[in-house]
Amino acid sequence: MSGLITRRTMLGGSAASLLAAPWVARAQANTLRVGMQSILSGPIALLGTSSRNALMMEQDRINAAGGLLGRPIEFVFRDSKGQPQEAARLTRELVNSTGCELLIDAEASSGAFAVQEVVRDLGVACIHTNSETSSLTADPKIRVPTAFRVARQGVHDAVAGSAYLSEYANAKKLNKWATCSPDYAYGRDTTAQYLQFFKQFKPDVEVITEAWPKLGQPDFTEVITKLIQAKPQALFTLLYAGDLSAFVNQGNIYALFSQIAVATPNVDYPVLAAIKNLPAGIQSATRYLETFPNTPANKEWGQAYLKRWNERPTNWSWQNTVAMQFYEAAIKKANSLDGKALAAALTGMKINTPFGVDGTITMRDDHTTIGYAIGWGQTTPKEPFIVDVKAADWGKIIELETDWKKQQKYI
Amino acid sequence: MKVGPALRDVAIAVFALIVVLAIPLLHRSPAFEDFVIRLSAMALFATSLNLLVGNTGMVSFGHGMFYGFGAYAFALMMQMTDVSLPIAAVLAVLITTFAALCVGAICVRLGTDYFAFITLAVQMLFYSIIISWQSLTGGDQGLRGGIPRREIFGFELASQLHLYQFCAVVTVLGLLTLRHISVSPFGQTLRMIRDNEHRASFLGIVLWRARLFAFTVAGAFAGLGGVLAALFVSGAYPELADWPNSGQAIFAVMLGGISSFLGPVLGATILLALNDVVTRFTEYHGLVLGSVILAFALGFRRGVLDFIRLAWPGRLR
Repeated sequence: MSGLITRRTMLGGSAASLLAAPWVARAQANTLRVGMQSILSGPIALLGTSSRNALMMEQDRINAAGGLLGRPIEFVFRDSKGQPQEAARLTRELVNSTGCELLIDAEASSGAFAVQEVVRDLGVACIHTNSETSSLTADPKIRVPTAFRVARQGVHDAVAGSAYLSEYANAKKLNKWATCSPDYAYGRDTTAQYLQFFKQFKPDVEVITEAWPKLGQPDFTEVITKLIQAKPQALFTLLYAGDLSAFVNQGNIYALFSQIAVATPNVDYPVLAAIKNLPAGIQSATRYLETFPNTPANKEWGQAYLKRWNERPTNWSWQNTVAMQFYEAAIKKANSLDGKALAAALTGMKINTPFGVDGTITMRDDHTTIGYAIGWGQTTPKEPFIVDVKAADWGKIIELETDWKKQQKYI
Repeated sequence: MKVGPALRDVAIAVFALIVVLAIPLLHRSPAFEDFVIRLSAMALFATSLNLLVGNTGMVSFGHGMFYGFGAYAFALMMQMTDVSLPIAAVLAVLITTFAALCVGAICVRLGTDYFAFITLAVQMLFYSIIISWQSLTGGDQGLRGGIPRREIFGFELASQLHLYQFCAVVTVLGLLTLRHISVSPFGQTLRMIRDNEHRASFLGIVLWRARLFAFTVAGAFAGLGGVLAALFVSGAYPELADWPNSGQAIFAVMLGGISSFLGPVLGATILLALNDVVTRFTEYHGLVLGSVILAFALGFRRGVLDFIRLAWPGRLR
């Protein structure tokens, strides 16, 4: 009977030592490891890979310039598969066993909220680069002292988009609108947010039908016929990525886009590439566009990305790039990697970057960025794909964002 | 039940607990501690499922529902009320037990195939409720804002070491209880039902009552696992209650072995370790995991512990 216990213990012991082996490996003392986690597999792997591409360019740039605090940097990339509990585990692993001293959290929203709570416990510096859900930093209960967001934000986009679309609707006399958005929290919440501001700017607007296709739905026929039957003058859609290109491709068959005006904030280069015949005249926001802001620096970065990866950058690419630019400036200022010291340096920091509407982006006191490029224009089938881009008014965005925060009792 | 085996189980449990608790005193490895915390949740989850699969022959595809239920019940109670952590944990397990009783009352009378289908269906229903009831659960974004870690007797669960100790103690006690249930006369009854339900029925056993009891107990321990999972991620997410999570538990049971009590624990260890190691090197972890499971299914034709017991009969029980 004692032999029995011994064997079990032996098995357990050998299993434990096998498991412990990789954990013993530590970072080389001099290299500064930066942990990056994102969705790198599955249907929205694009979210992660276009983030990773941008960060690898930043790694080369920073190392060529002598690294951070004189140490070369090295990214450690991890795939969370988009699962929050896996995201939480990876954050701990990156810091506790891989020896990462800085974190880039390139998770989508649900993962970002999980990472946020782990960062709260660990006290390490972290920049969220892909979550657009406003409450991540706006809600003081959720905000974390050492975590920041370098990304566009739902409420900013909603104000900018509604302001632009209300002017457009007034000019074209479009009062009857339809909406078509993915059927989950992002789609429902953000549609409601856009409509709230839209009605504020244009009180006579009327929503006559709503369609809520499922995420990743392959066939949009029922949605398209529902829209055509309801005869709205214009359609607002929050579909994105593969869903958006599928919707446009299928809508083209029904000549949907010659019957009604269409507006969407979610057009990215890969979506444009996946649409066979991009209809002209869709009202579209710029998530990332080489020609907006129309500066040599922006163009140069977009071209460098295209040359290196043989594809165009996405919205997430610029966000991750700016995150590293913020880290670089903050580390120089604080002369430290300590979470608290970096947080103090980052708060209120303004950096020069090609992606700011006036060449700068500011990290506000509430740990989120403002001043990044938000513009709306209309599509054209050939490059540069979106023309007549009008920059959003950041004064108005911040004014209405403040009202919204009061309404939510965040301030 | 004889006193001997019960005492032996307690001795093994105490020994295992001492070893696990002693490790951080000798050497602190946050990665190892994280692993044990996650394993503790998964081990309770998988072992409780094995009470149904291995002991009773009821293959439930919806067991993840109770894991998620425990996590949500606990996290919501901690966020919305001021009750202390142990009370919230106990209440969460009790609520999950009640939920399991209700679900079981509908499911256990059905035959094997239909039982599997309907547990899956109920889980999908529960998952849909989590997704749709946004004001309570946060929908697909999960329960945000973290779980407040109220101190218990100088025990601070925000500290990794304390959480590690807490999880180790809870899991060893949980597994010991499950072991006790599985070797008790009731456990024997369940095995008899598994092997020949007609004979069990002729002996005067009310089949549905025994099955319902097993289902409820299994649900309760899955809920306890969910509580630990919620503590680890400091929140609750719909993925915890989704069907792939039930699949994880079934994989753990199959990998480790259904006829050995510690099989699911070993299976959970293999599964988690495999996931942790493989995700470091490749994005094609699904491919690697699938190949390993295929190798077990086609090569060993049973779980690891079952295989070892068959290879060396009499040495391991």
